[in-house]
Amino acid sequence: MKAFYTLLKNELKLNIRNMNMVIFAVILPLVVLVILGFLYGTKPASDGADYTFLEQSIGALCAISVCAGGLMGLPLVVAEYRERKILKRFQVTPVSPAMLLAVEFLIYVIYSLVSLITLLLVSGLAWGVHLRGSWGEFAGSWLLTVLSTLSIGMMVGGVAKNAKSASVIACVLYFPMLIFSGATLPFEVMPEIMQKVISVFPLTQGIQLMKSAFLGLAVEPLGLPIIVMLCVTLTCSGIAIKCFKWE
Amino acid sequence: MEEVVKVESVTKAYGALLAVDQVSLSVKRGTAFGLLGANGAGKSTTIECILGTKRADDGTVSVLALNPRKDRRSLFQQVGVQFQECGYQPEIRVSELCEETACLYKAPADWKGLCEQFGIGDKTGTPVKSLSGGERQRLFIVLALIPKPQVVFLDELTTGLDARARRGVWKILKELKDGGLTIFLTSHFMDEVEALCDEICILQKGRAVFYGTVAQAKEKSGCENFEDAYLKLSGEGIE
Repeated sequence: MKAFYTLLKNELKLNIRNMNMVIFAVILPLVVLVILGFLYGTKPASDGADYTFLEQSIGALCAISVCAGGLMGLPLVVAEYRERKILKRFQVTPVSPAMLLAVEFLIYVIYSLVSLITLLLVSGLAWGVHLRGSWGEFAGSWLLTVLSTLSIGMMVGGVAKNAKSASVIACVLYFPMLIFSGATLPFEVMPEIMQKVISVFPLTQGIQLMKSAFLGLAVEPLGLPIIVMLCVTLTCSGIAIKCFKWE
Repeated sequence: MEEVVKVESVTKAYGALLAVDQVSLSVKRGTAFGLLGANGAGKSTTIECILGTKRADDGTVSVLALNPRKDRRSLFQQVGVQFQECGYQPEIRVSELCEETACLYKAPADWKGLCEQFGIGDKTGTPVKSLSGGERQRLFIVLALIPKPQVVFLDELTTGLDARARRGVWKILKELKDGGLTIFLTSHFMDEVEALCDEICILQKGRAVFYGTVAQAKEKSGCENFEDAYLKLSGEGIE
């Protein structure tokens, strides 16, 4: 446990020193929130809706950070550590691959959590956004979104040949998901045909689930979004641990 | 005496290139063993096969009576390693790298004391990338000693060090050896090998062409000077 804590503390410090994730996973979602806030303020989501546009968008805003950490940060750091032979140095110590992956994984969970808290605070204070559903359901959907997205990233970092191919794969996953899953462009404004296509992204499912939970709309306990995300989490993290390469 | 490292006819090929060919060696507890040879003779590959970071095509390896691939986690509680190329996180500081290494072991050495001993005690707050080549090399020796190892592997241990620093490193290693530490090293400096090693093995194109003590090497080659003896035995020629 002490080893885990020390590694986590050090790796988090290094990660913050690097600043990339602070910008893309914490500041960027806030900027988007502020822009939406000035555009829509406390306007209702649609004529006659009893929740505001911002309340409807909170799930999507949370996903920006999850997307940055899971599809950019995590795969790149794992691939870079392999290429720089940092993993090889760990290979001749008693540390287990699962612990190293868990430390890196948790770092991006922390970024997502910080982003979630700042978004709720700012939107709540400035535009009166508040949760209309249950905290438990919202927290559960958030966690499932984080776990499924990060496990994709962990798998990419694990199987990519080098940092360069990891970054290509990361871009191919990151930008379409960021733009089309509803994280930046609201899902609701897209044409219906497009909504159908992008429903295959686990992040789209996660955002819809968080939205329903936040707004207090009915969440099916074993609906399609939950099943898709659970399957993605189990498959990807299984592959990541099974195919882990030190070099 | 107990054999700490035991290697039997280990062979490793990269495609058509035979990097290590039927190498056997044994290192006894509390002794220093030097693996010598020109660049590309197979020294690093041999070390990696011993440590299990590369899988040997053939032959058997045991370190402290453990199999380095199967018993990795228990073996590396007791083994310290300094690779020729050592990777570190781009922004990491000396203290962080030491702390991150020490936390992995059940009973680590005091890394601050080791840094003092190796003359980098005042550099602990410095980023590793800003250290000079010699300071970084000493840091990696410190990292290899943090596990309080029973056996330490040092690949080209004093490359980049000035003459005084090299003497300092030798002195510390000799003291540790007297305390029972087993040392496995590779080096291109024959004065260093002569000062430290009880036994040596010279590799040439992956094959062991000499195995014995420094005195035996001089005797076999008929050379007074050990560097001459090494060049003659390794087939590199004295000219």
